[in-house]
Amino acid sequence: MLNIDLYINSAGIISGAGNNMNGNFLQNIPQYSANALPAVEPDYKEYIPVMQLRRMSRAVRMGVVAAKTAMQQAGIEKPDAMCVGSAYGCLQDTETFLGKMTEQDEQMLTPTAFIQSTHNTVAGQIALLANCNGHNLTYVHRGHSFEHAIIDAKLYLQQHPGEHLLVGAIEEQTANSIKALQYAGATAKEHYAPGDVMAGSLHAPVCGEGAAFFSITQQPLSEKSIHIAGLDIFRADEQTAFEKISTFANNNSPFDVFVSGMNGEKRNHAFYRRLGEEIFKYTPRTTFKQFCGEYPVAASFATGMLFHRIFPGIDASRVKNIVLVNNHCEYYSCWKFTL
Amino acid sequence: MSKAHVVHTGIITAIGNDTAACLQSLLEGKSGIGKAEILKTHWQDELPVAEVKLSNEELAGKTGVSPDWPRTALLSAIAVQEAWEPYKEKAKGLRTSFFSANTVGGMDLTENVYKDFITDVQSVALKQIINHECGAITEIVAAHFGIGDFVTTISTACSSSANSIMMAAQMIEAGMLDIAIAGGADSLSKFTLNGFHTLMILDKQPCQPFDNNRRGLNLGEGAGYVLLMSEKAMQQCGAQAICTVSGYANANDAYHQTASSPDGIGNKLAMGNALKKAGLKPADISYINLHGTGTANNDSSEGKAVEAIFEGRVPMASSTKAFTGHTLGAAGGVEAVFSALSIKEGVVFPNMRWQTQMEDINWQVETKLKTGQDISHVLSNSFGFGGNCSSLIFSSC
Repeated sequence: MLNIDLYINSAGIISGAGNNMNGNFLQNIPQYSANALPAVEPDYKEYIPVMQLRRMSRAVRMGVVAAKTAMQQAGIEKPDAMCVGSAYGCLQDTETFLGKMTEQDEQMLTPTAFIQSTHNTVAGQIALLANCNGHNLTYVHRGHSFEHAIIDAKLYLQQHPGEHLLVGAIEEQTANSIKALQYAGATAKEHYAPGDVMAGSLHAPVCGEGAAFFSITQQPLSEKSIHIAGLDIFRADEQTAFEKISTFANNNSPFDVFVSGMNGEKRNHAFYRRLGEEIFKYTPRTTFKQFCGEYPVAASFATGMLFHRIFPGIDASRVKNIVLVNNHCEYYSCWKFTL
Repeated sequence: MSKAHVVHTGIITAIGNDTAACLQSLLEGKSGIGKAEILKTHWQDELPVAEVKLSNEELAGKTGVSPDWPRTALLSAIAVQEAWEPYKEKAKGLRTSFFSANTVGGMDLTENVYKDFITDVQSVALKQIINHECGAITEIVAAHFGIGDFVTTISTACSSSANSIMMAAQMIEAGMLDIAIAGGADSLSKFTLNGFHTLMILDKQPCQPFDNNRRGLNLGEGAGYVLLMSEKAMQQCGAQAICTVSGYANANDAYHQTASSPDGIGNKLAMGNALKKAGLKPADISYINLHGTGTANNDSSEGKAVEAIFEGRVPMASSTKAFTGHTLGAAGGVEAVFSALSIKEGVVFPNMRWQTQMEDINWQVETKLKTGQDISHVLSNSFGFGGNCSSLIFSSC
């Protein structure tokens, strides 16, 4: 287990379940019948000059506006440093350049899409717009990309106490990425409703996307701040994961709510049900992937949901200690949050 | 708090398949830049590259992995094997980790099947696209060597692997890990070659970093890692330190998505903060391994930033990219290996092909091999797209 000990002071969230730019985040439970949940994007013109907006792909727009929202909510013009996670990076621009390169047999190409295809484009653009010269890292490690950004934040703050960090994650879906994930059996072909996800009857998960950014400091900035009190991450098979989650629970209990990263796929549902029955037997349980879908940085959506004190089906007034268990394929994370 | 000690290295580039071979080429002034033979591209005859002249099958044969792996993973495995082989049996019970950066992921495979993927996905073998993600490259290599206590992938363009060394050093210093294999890998691909070509920053001749008449960079490929250990791990493994990672800093230029600011704002912050972290004065630095890509923009802003940080008294400095080309996500790792070699061997590598003094800087790069030097502290620069600027300092023990 990692000694994380950080505070989240604000959140900017864009997801398939809506965004938190207009104050009614998750007030209405989203309804859909789909195999992929595109993010509900805000009116970007309110945040980014139109000229700049035109050049930005969806990944960059989502990331920049989620980051701006997190900064505004925390009352800062620019952070001292930032740490970002994104497993797939800027897919749309990558596909644009790749498509033209193959169609045109490597000739008559223009640079714009290539320039914006690098994985650090989102962090670079946030730094550029906020004029932030500080530490700036992008982690691209599959289902642990967001968690590694959190660890980096911890390491940075240890050496730069008192500074104010922006930490976030971004993932975009495209028609081709959904096609590739379906081909690999990692995304559903059939259309499903939120109830199907919660019932755990899916052949493969519904594909999600989104951006979530947070203001992070070593001390809480207001009564809204929530504490990341513990984090453990590991890549493991189900049985080993079960044992490690059990150890995490023993070391960090009691909990008032168990937030489950169950993605609706049958086997995944059975795994989380077992966690609920054997490890978190007396803890009320709630889920979030029926809102946001499955994607490598979905733990960032859950973190945003917890920051907003949203615990579907549970009396939020009684919640103080939260355990979040998430997985994306064999990448697991266990989080302890306190309100 | 234990420092992160560099105890061993692993590398493969166009100038050699291991550390000894790369050192030999550096000492003999043997460049790796030439015509692409393995990479099949429209630009074969026009754009020279620094290519590892081994097929994917030959690369795979060196570590016994599948030749179906992306080329970046094949290169990575070779360099990891060199760095890790002498210690893997001795490290039992120690927390061992792998920090590997890359920018290209499995693109070398994806780009060959992308047309088919668009028209009929079923016609594409899954193995051609399954390792497309940057993180997949790191994971398949980590799994092959059984390294699992902490595994991560960083992608910050050309500064990527300097950042993986920085993070690894921090985690060792914080007592979170005992051993880290840290650096990065990148193979050539049509995607990156064409991308850099559209930016009009590729030299059609072998590049001339820090020359007034420089025309651009040559892309290279390879992998470079330093094996980092805490004091405790060194004791258990019976390892000797070559040097320590004494300073590091990451900054952002916040100027332009691809270009560096004229005065190198980010470059200055990275170098200055790395010196601060190491507790060193500019005058303490014996040698600077420059980022020195050979583009008009990089060398000018880096040159001015170096001049400002060192207040005109610039120590011996050279770019080694005239040897290896610009290996992108591997560059910081490759140059960390060269920095460790500089300390260990007491040498400063020449800035090859230099002919004419740059007009906008008032200091000179080292153009001749220097041997018999007492090299105490090496500053290594890595700057990239997205404004990412990182500097590392390696210090003799």
